[in-house]
Amino acid sequence: MIKTVFAVLITLCLAIGGGAASLAYVLDDARGAGALTLGAWTAYPKTGSPEADPYARARTAREGILALGAAEGVAFTAVRDTSGAPLRLDCVYNIEGMAPPGRFWTLFAAVGPEAVKNQSGRPSAINSQNLLRNGEGRYIITVGRRPAPGNWIGVTGEGAMQLVMTVYDSSLSTGTEIGDVSMPEIIQAGCNV
Amino acid sequence: MFRLVHAVILGLIGAGVVHIVVLFLMPEMSPRDAWSRLAEDGGLYAMTPYHSDSSLAGQSGVADPYFQAAACRFDLTDGIIHLAQDRAVPFWSASVYDRQGHNIYSLNDRTAQNGLLDLVVLTPGQMVDLRKSPLQEMEQSIFVETPITEGIIVVRGFQPDESWNRQVSEFLGGLDCAAEPI
Repeated sequence: MIKTVFAVLITLCLAIGGGAASLAYVLDDARGAGALTLGAWTAYPKTGSPEADPYARARTAREGILALGAAEGVAFTAVRDTSGAPLRLDCVYNIEGMAPPGRFWTLFAAVGPEAVKNQSGRPSAINSQNLLRNGEGRYIITVGRRPAPGNWIGVTGEGAMQLVMTVYDSSLSTGTEIGDVSMPEIIQAGCNV
Repeated sequence: MFRLVHAVILGLIGAGVVHIVVLFLMPEMSPRDAWSRLAEDGGLYAMTPYHSDSSLAGQSGVADPYFQAAACRFDLTDGIIHLAQDRAVPFWSASVYDRQGHNIYSLNDRTAQNGLLDLVVLTPGQMVDLRKSPLQEMEQSIFVETPITEGIIVVRGFQPDESWNRQVSEFLGGLDCAAEPI
Protein backbone atom coordinates (compact mmCIF):
# COMPACT_ATOMS: atom_id res chain seq x y z
CA MET A 1 0.00 0.00 0.00
CA ILE A 2 2.67 2.49 1.05
CA LYS A 3 4.72 1.48 -1.96
CA THR A 4 1.81 2.27 -4.25
CA VAL A 5 1.27 5.70 -2.69
CA PHE A 6 4.98 6.38 -3.00
CA ALA A 7 5.02 5.39 -6.68
CA VAL A 8 2.02 7.58 -7.45
CA LEU A 9 3.67 10.51 -5.66
CA ILE A 10 6.86 10.09 -7.70
CA THR A 11 4.86 9.96 -10.92
CA LEU A 12 2.87 13.09 -10.06
CA CYS A 13 5.90 15.10 -8.88
CA LEU A 14 7.87 14.18 -12.01
CA ALA A 15 4.97 14.96 -14.32
CA ILE A 16 3.95 18.30 -12.84
CA GLY A 17 7.39 19.50 -11.74
CA GLY A 18 9.18 18.27 -14.86
CA GLY A 19 6.54 19.61 -17.23
CA ALA A 20 6.45 23.06 -15.62
CA ALA A 21 10.24 23.32 -15.26
CA SER A 22 10.97 22.27 -18.84
CA LEU A 23 8.42 24.74 -20.21
CA ALA A 24 9.76 27.58 -18.04
CA TYR A 25 13.28 26.78 -19.22
CA VAL A 26 12.34 26.81 -22.89
CA LEU A 27 10.37 30.07 -22.56
CA ASP A 28 13.09 31.85 -20.59
CA ASP A 29 16.26 30.74 -22.28
CA ALA A 30 15.88 28.97 -25.57
CA ARG A 31 14.85 31.51 -28.14
CA GLY A 32 15.56 29.49 -31.25
CA ALA A 33 12.47 29.24 -33.40
CA GLY A 34 11.80 31.96 -35.94
CA ALA A 35 15.04 33.82 -35.18
CA LEU A 36 16.65 36.09 -37.76
CA THR A 37 20.35 36.34 -36.94
CA LEU A 38 22.65 38.89 -38.58
CA GLY A 39 26.13 38.91 -37.03
CA ALA A 40 25.80 39.62 -33.32
CA TRP A 41 22.16 40.70 -33.72
CA THR A 42 19.03 38.59 -33.42
CA ALA A 43 15.43 39.51 -34.19
CA TYR A 44 12.16 37.61 -34.03
CA PRO A 45 10.05 39.12 -36.79
CA LYS A 46 7.37 36.42 -36.45
CA THR A 47 6.85 36.82 -32.68
CA GLY A 48 3.50 38.39 -32.04
CA SER A 49 2.23 37.68 -35.54
CA PRO A 50 -0.52 35.14 -36.21
CA GLU A 51 2.07 32.81 -37.84
CA ALA A 52 4.10 32.59 -34.62
CA ASP A 53 4.95 29.12 -33.31
CA PRO A 54 3.32 27.86 -30.06
CA TYR A 55 6.36 28.81 -27.95
CA ALA A 56 6.37 32.37 -29.28
CA ARG A 57 2.62 32.55 -28.63
CA ALA A 58 3.09 31.39 -25.04
CA ARG A 59 5.91 33.89 -24.56
CA THR A 60 3.77 36.72 -25.96
CA ALA A 61 1.05 35.89 -23.43
CA ARG A 62 3.38 35.33 -20.50
CA GLU A 63 5.42 38.50 -20.96
CA GLY A 64 2.51 40.68 -22.06
CA ILE A 65 4.29 41.68 -25.25
CA LEU A 66 2.57 43.74 -27.91
CA ALA A 67 5.13 43.17 -30.65
CA LEU A 68 5.87 45.65 -33.42
CA GLY A 69 3.87 44.93 -36.57
CA ALA A 70 5.30 44.37 -40.03
CA ALA A 71 4.65 47.99 -41.05
CA GLU A 72 6.17 49.32 -37.82
CA GLY A 73 9.63 47.87 -37.47
CA VAL A 74 11.97 45.10 -36.34
CA ALA A 75 13.84 45.07 -33.02
CA PHE A 76 17.28 43.41 -33.02
CA THR A 77 18.97 42.58 -29.75
CA ALA A 78 22.59 41.71 -29.08
CA VAL A 79 23.79 40.13 -25.84
CA ARG A 80 27.29 39.33 -27.18
CA ASP A 81 29.85 41.31 -29.16
CA THR A 82 31.05 40.27 -32.62
CA SER A 83 33.76 38.04 -31.10
CA GLY A 84 31.16 36.21 -28.98
CA ALA A 85 31.97 37.65 -25.52
CA PRO A 86 28.99 38.76 -23.38
CA LEU A 87 28.28 42.52 -23.43
CA ARG A 88 29.17 44.27 -20.18
CA LEU A 89 28.42 47.73 -18.83
CA ASP A 90 32.02 48.17 -17.66
CA CYS A 91 33.52 47.57 -21.11
CA VAL A 92 33.87 49.96 -24.05
CA TYR A 93 32.41 48.94 -27.41
CA ASN A 94 32.68 50.47 -30.84
CA ILE A 95 29.62 49.83 -32.95
CA GLU A 96 30.41 50.43 -36.60
CA GLY A 97 29.02 49.67 -39.98
CA MET A 98 26.30 50.69 -42.34
CA ALA A 99 22.75 51.64 -41.57
CA PRO A 100 20.33 48.74 -41.92
CA PRO A 101 17.59 49.32 -44.50
CA GLY A 102 14.68 51.25 -43.05
CA ARG A 103 13.49 54.80 -42.63
CA PHE A 104 15.34 55.36 -39.37
CA TRP A 105 16.61 53.37 -36.41
CA THR A 106 17.20 53.70 -32.69
CA LEU A 107 19.85 52.05 -30.56
CA PHE A 108 19.87 51.77 -26.78
CA ALA A 109 21.46 49.80 -23.97
CA ALA A 110 19.20 47.83 -21.64
CA VAL A 111 19.42 45.64 -18.56
CA GLY A 112 16.42 43.33 -18.20
CA PRO A 113 13.28 45.16 -19.29
CA GLU A 114 14.66 48.66 -18.60
CA ALA A 115 16.78 51.00 -20.70
CA VAL A 116 20.06 51.89 -18.95
CA LYS A 117 20.41 55.50 -17.76
CA ASN A 118 23.39 57.62 -18.78
CA GLN A 119 25.44 60.00 -16.60
CA SER A 120 22.77 62.72 -16.75
CA GLY A 121 19.93 60.34 -15.90
CA ARG A 122 18.55 60.08 -19.44
CA PRO A 123 18.22 56.80 -21.34
CA SER A 124 21.46 55.48 -22.84
CA ALA A 125 20.33 55.79 -26.44
CA ILE A 126 21.01 57.24 -29.86
CA ASN A 127 19.00 57.36 -33.07
CA SER A 128 19.87 57.76 -36.74
CA GLN A 129 18.57 61.35 -36.76
CA ASN A 130 21.03 62.66 -34.18
CA LEU A 131 23.98 60.61 -35.42
CA LEU A 132 27.28 61.87 -36.85
CA ARG A 133 28.41 59.94 -39.93
CA ASN A 134 31.24 60.13 -42.38
CA GLY A 135 30.67 60.84 -46.08
CA GLU A 136 29.91 57.24 -47.02
CA GLY A 137 27.02 56.76 -44.61
CA ARG A 138 29.17 54.74 -42.19
CA TYR A 139 29.28 55.56 -38.53
CA ILE A 140 31.03 54.62 -35.31
CA ILE A 141 29.17 54.70 -31.99
CA THR A 142 31.10 54.28 -28.75
CA VAL A 143 29.29 52.64 -25.83
CA GLY A 144 30.95 53.03 -22.46
CA ARG A 145 31.03 54.76 -19.10
CA ARG A 146 33.71 57.34 -20.05
CA PRO A 147 32.78 60.18 -22.46
CA ALA A 148 34.05 59.58 -26.00
CA PRO A 149 34.32 61.92 -28.99
CA GLY A 150 31.82 61.57 -31.81
CA ASN A 151 28.78 59.38 -31.21
CA TRP A 152 28.71 58.28 -27.60
CA ILE A 153 26.14 56.24 -25.67
CA GLY A 154 26.95 56.79 -22.03
CA VAL A 155 26.08 53.97 -19.66
CA THR A 156 26.32 53.59 -15.90
CA GLY A 157 26.55 50.60 -13.61
CA GLU A 158 28.16 47.24 -14.11
CA GLY A 159 27.27 43.70 -15.10
CA ALA A 160 25.68 42.26 -18.20
CA MET A 161 23.72 44.37 -20.66
CA GLN A 162 22.06 44.02 -24.01
CA LEU A 163 21.95 46.37 -26.96
CA VAL A 164 18.66 46.88 -28.79
CA MET A 165 18.64 48.27 -32.32
CA THR A 166 15.18 48.84 -33.75
CA VAL A 167 14.77 49.55 -37.45
CA TYR A 168 11.51 51.31 -38.23
CA ASP A 169 9.51 51.08 -41.47
CA SER A 170 11.90 48.44 -42.70
CA SER A 171 11.73 45.86 -45.47
CA LEU A 172 13.39 43.45 -43.03
CA SER A 173 10.11 42.82 -41.22
CA THR A 174 8.55 41.26 -44.31
CA GLY A 175 11.47 38.84 -44.56
CA THR A 176 12.78 40.06 -47.92
CA GLU A 177 16.26 41.42 -48.72
CA ILE A 178 17.89 39.57 -45.83
CA GLY A 179 20.73 38.17 -47.94
CA ASP A 180 22.58 41.41 -48.57
CA VAL A 181 21.82 43.12 -45.26
CA SER A 182 24.61 43.73 -42.79
CA MET A 183 24.04 44.91 -39.27
CA PRO A 184 26.80 46.92 -37.57
CA GLU A 185 29.65 45.11 -35.82
CA ILE A 186 30.15 45.40 -32.05
CA ILE A 187 33.87 45.51 -31.32
CA GLN A 188 35.14 45.50 -27.76
CA ALA A 189 37.80 48.14 -27.04
CA GLY A 190 38.84 47.47 -23.47
CA CYS A 191 37.23 46.74 -20.13
CA ASN A 192 37.19 48.11 -16.57
CA VAL A 193 37.25 51.71 -17.72
CA MET B 1 12.32 -1.86 -8.09
CA PHE B 2 10.14 -2.57 -11.10
CA ARG B 3 7.48 -0.39 -9.53
CA LEU B 4 9.94 2.54 -9.18
CA VAL B 5 11.05 2.32 -12.82
CA HIS B 6 7.42 2.13 -13.83
CA ALA B 7 6.64 5.28 -11.78
CA VAL B 8 9.57 7.21 -13.25
CA ILE B 9 8.64 6.32 -16.83
CA LEU B 10 5.03 7.29 -16.23
CA GLY B 11 6.23 10.53 -14.61
CA LEU B 12 8.38 11.45 -17.61
CA ILE B 13 5.54 10.79 -20.03
CA GLY B 14 3.32 12.88 -17.76
CA ALA B 15 5.90 15.70 -17.80
CA GLY B 16 5.69 15.78 -21.60
CA VAL B 17 1.91 15.92 -21.48
CA VAL B 18 1.94 18.72 -18.87
CA HIS B 19 4.53 20.65 -20.93
CA ILE B 20 2.36 20.54 -24.05
CA VAL B 21 -0.95 21.18 -22.31
CA VAL B 22 0.37 24.21 -20.40
CA LEU B 23 2.07 25.51 -23.56
CA PHE B 24 -1.20 25.56 -25.47
CA LEU B 25 -3.29 26.82 -22.54
CA MET B 26 -0.96 29.71 -21.74
CA PRO B 27 -2.16 32.13 -24.47
CA GLU B 28 -5.77 31.62 -23.27
CA MET B 29 -5.13 31.67 -19.54
CA SER B 30 -2.21 34.02 -18.84
CA PRO B 31 -3.06 36.56 -16.13
CA ARG B 32 -0.11 38.69 -17.24
CA ASP B 33 -0.85 39.11 -20.95
CA ALA B 34 -1.13 42.55 -22.51
CA TRP B 35 -4.94 42.58 -22.29
CA SER B 36 -4.93 41.90 -18.54
CA ARG B 37 -2.18 44.44 -17.89
CA LEU B 38 -4.05 47.12 -19.82
CA ALA B 39 -7.26 46.23 -17.95
CA GLU B 40 -5.50 47.20 -14.72
CA ASP B 41 -4.80 50.68 -16.08
CA GLY B 42 -8.09 51.58 -17.69
CA GLY B 43 -11.45 50.39 -18.92
CA LEU B 44 -12.50 49.42 -22.42
CA TYR B 45 -12.07 52.26 -24.95
CA ALA B 46 -9.78 54.24 -22.61
CA MET B 47 -6.72 55.40 -24.55
CA THR B 48 -4.04 54.83 -21.94
CA PRO B 49 -0.68 56.53 -22.41
CA TYR B 50 2.48 54.62 -21.69
CA HIS B 51 5.94 56.11 -21.57
CA SER B 52 8.11 53.15 -20.72
CA ASP B 53 6.00 50.12 -20.06
CA SER B 54 7.24 46.69 -20.93
CA SER B 55 3.81 45.61 -22.09
CA LEU B 56 4.15 47.92 -25.08
CA ALA B 57 7.69 46.98 -25.93
CA GLY B 58 8.88 45.62 -29.21
CA GLN B 59 9.85 42.03 -29.86
CA SER B 60 12.78 42.55 -27.53
CA GLY B 61 10.55 43.05 -24.50
CA VAL B 62 12.14 46.46 -23.85
CA ALA B 63 10.39 49.75 -24.63
CA ASP B 64 12.21 52.13 -26.99
CA PRO B 65 13.09 55.36 -25.09
CA TYR B 66 12.57 57.40 -28.26
CA PHE B 67 8.94 56.37 -28.45
CA GLN B 68 5.75 57.19 -26.63
CA ALA B 69 2.86 54.81 -27.02
CA ALA B 70 -0.81 54.68 -26.14
CA ALA B 71 -3.12 51.70 -26.15
CA CYS B 72 -6.82 51.02 -25.86
CA ARG B 73 -8.86 47.84 -25.59
CA PHE B 74 -12.02 47.57 -27.67
CA ASP B 75 -15.01 45.31 -28.21
CA LEU B 76 -16.53 45.62 -31.68
CA THR B 77 -19.91 44.28 -30.55
CA ASP B 78 -20.53 47.78 -29.14
CA GLY B 79 -19.74 49.55 -32.42
CA ILE B 80 -16.89 50.45 -34.76
CA ILE B 81 -13.67 52.15 -33.65
CA HIS B 82 -12.69 55.29 -35.56
CA LEU B 83 -9.27 56.60 -34.59
CA ALA B 84 -8.29 59.87 -36.27
CA GLN B 85 -5.72 62.56 -35.62
CA ASP B 86 -4.96 65.56 -37.84
CA ARG B 87 -1.72 66.52 -36.10
CA ALA B 88 1.61 65.30 -37.42
CA VAL B 89 4.67 63.85 -35.66
CA PRO B 90 8.01 62.79 -37.22
CA PHE B 91 6.82 59.19 -37.43
CA TRP B 92 3.86 57.30 -36.12
CA SER B 93 2.71 53.74 -36.45
CA ALA B 94 -0.40 51.91 -35.34
CA SER B 95 -1.18 48.25 -34.78
CA VAL B 96 -4.33 46.24 -34.18
CA TYR B 97 -3.89 43.20 -31.93
CA ASP B 98 -6.31 40.41 -31.14
CA ARG B 99 -7.31 39.48 -27.59
CA GLN B 100 -4.19 37.28 -27.21
CA GLY B 101 -1.83 40.08 -28.28
CA HIS B 102 -1.11 38.93 -31.83
CA ASN B 103 -0.51 41.67 -34.32
CA ILE B 104 -3.16 41.33 -37.01
CA TYR B 105 -2.74 44.66 -38.82
CA SER B 106 -0.20 47.46 -38.75
CA LEU B 107 0.36 50.67 -40.64
CA ASN B 108 2.59 53.75 -40.48
CA ASP B 109 2.42 57.34 -41.65
CA ARG B 110 3.64 56.43 -45.16
CA THR B 111 0.91 53.85 -45.67
CA ALA B 112 -1.77 56.37 -44.61
CA GLN B 113 -3.49 59.02 -46.73
CA ASN B 114 -1.57 62.35 -46.51
CA GLY B 115 0.43 60.85 -43.64
CA LEU B 116 -2.46 61.38 -41.23
CA LEU B 117 -3.79 58.76 -38.84
CA ASP B 118 -7.37 57.88 -39.80
CA LEU B 119 -8.22 54.31 -39.02
CA VAL B 120 -11.54 52.45 -38.77
CA VAL B 121 -11.63 49.01 -37.19
CA LEU B 122 -14.78 46.97 -37.84
CA THR B 123 -16.12 43.49 -38.47
CA PRO B 124 -17.07 42.35 -42.01
CA GLY B 125 -20.76 42.60 -41.00
CA GLN B 126 -20.34 46.22 -39.87
CA MET B 127 -18.50 46.94 -43.15
CA VAL B 128 -21.58 45.76 -45.12
CA ASP B 129 -23.81 48.02 -43.01
CA LEU B 130 -21.45 50.95 -43.47
CA ARG B 131 -21.36 50.51 -47.27
CA LYS B 132 -25.13 50.97 -47.39
CA SER B 133 -24.85 54.48 -45.92
CA PRO B 134 -21.25 55.72 -46.24
CA LEU B 135 -20.30 58.43 -43.79
CA GLN B 136 -18.68 61.58 -45.12
CA GLU B 137 -16.19 61.75 -42.27
CA MET B 138 -14.77 58.35 -43.22
CA GLU B 139 -14.00 59.09 -46.88
CA GLN B 140 -10.26 59.21 -46.23
CA SER B 141 -10.14 56.43 -43.67
CA ILE B 142 -8.23 53.18 -43.86
CA PHE B 143 -10.65 50.35 -43.04
CA VAL B 144 -9.40 47.36 -41.10
CA GLU B 145 -11.89 44.51 -41.44
CA THR B 146 -11.30 41.89 -38.82
CA PRO B 147 -13.13 38.77 -37.71
CA ILE B 148 -12.21 39.46 -34.07
CA THR B 149 -14.47 41.37 -31.70
CA GLU B 150 -12.20 42.02 -28.74
CA GLY B 151 -8.81 43.53 -29.42
CA ILE B 152 -6.21 46.17 -28.67
CA ILE B 153 -5.07 49.18 -30.70
CA VAL B 154 -1.62 50.63 -30.04
CA VAL B 155 -0.37 53.90 -31.52
CA ARG B 156 3.32 54.70 -31.26
CA GLY B 157 4.92 58.11 -31.86
CA PHE B 158 8.61 58.82 -32.49
CA GLN B 159 10.34 61.67 -30.62
CA PRO B 160 13.82 62.16 -32.19
CA ASP B 161 14.81 64.41 -29.28
CA GLU B 162 13.25 65.82 -26.12
CA SER B 163 11.86 68.92 -27.87
CA TRP B 164 9.27 66.61 -29.46
CA ASN B 165 7.95 65.18 -26.18
CA ARG B 166 5.04 67.61 -25.96
CA GLN B 167 3.94 67.24 -29.59
CA VAL B 168 4.00 63.46 -29.35
CA SER B 169 2.05 63.37 -26.08
CA GLU B 170 -0.54 65.74 -27.56
CA PHE B 171 -0.73 63.54 -30.66
CA LEU B 172 -1.41 60.46 -28.54
CA GLY B 173 -3.55 62.27 -25.97
CA GLY B 174 -5.89 63.58 -28.68
CA LEU B 175 -6.88 60.09 -29.83
CA ASP B 176 -10.43 59.03 -29.06
CA CYS B 177 -10.97 55.29 -29.06
CA ALA B 178 -14.72 55.27 -28.26
CA ALA B 179 -17.00 52.76 -29.98
CA GLU B 180 -19.37 54.37 -32.50
CA PRO B 181 -22.61 52.53 -33.21
CA ILE B 182 -23.68 52.42 -36.85
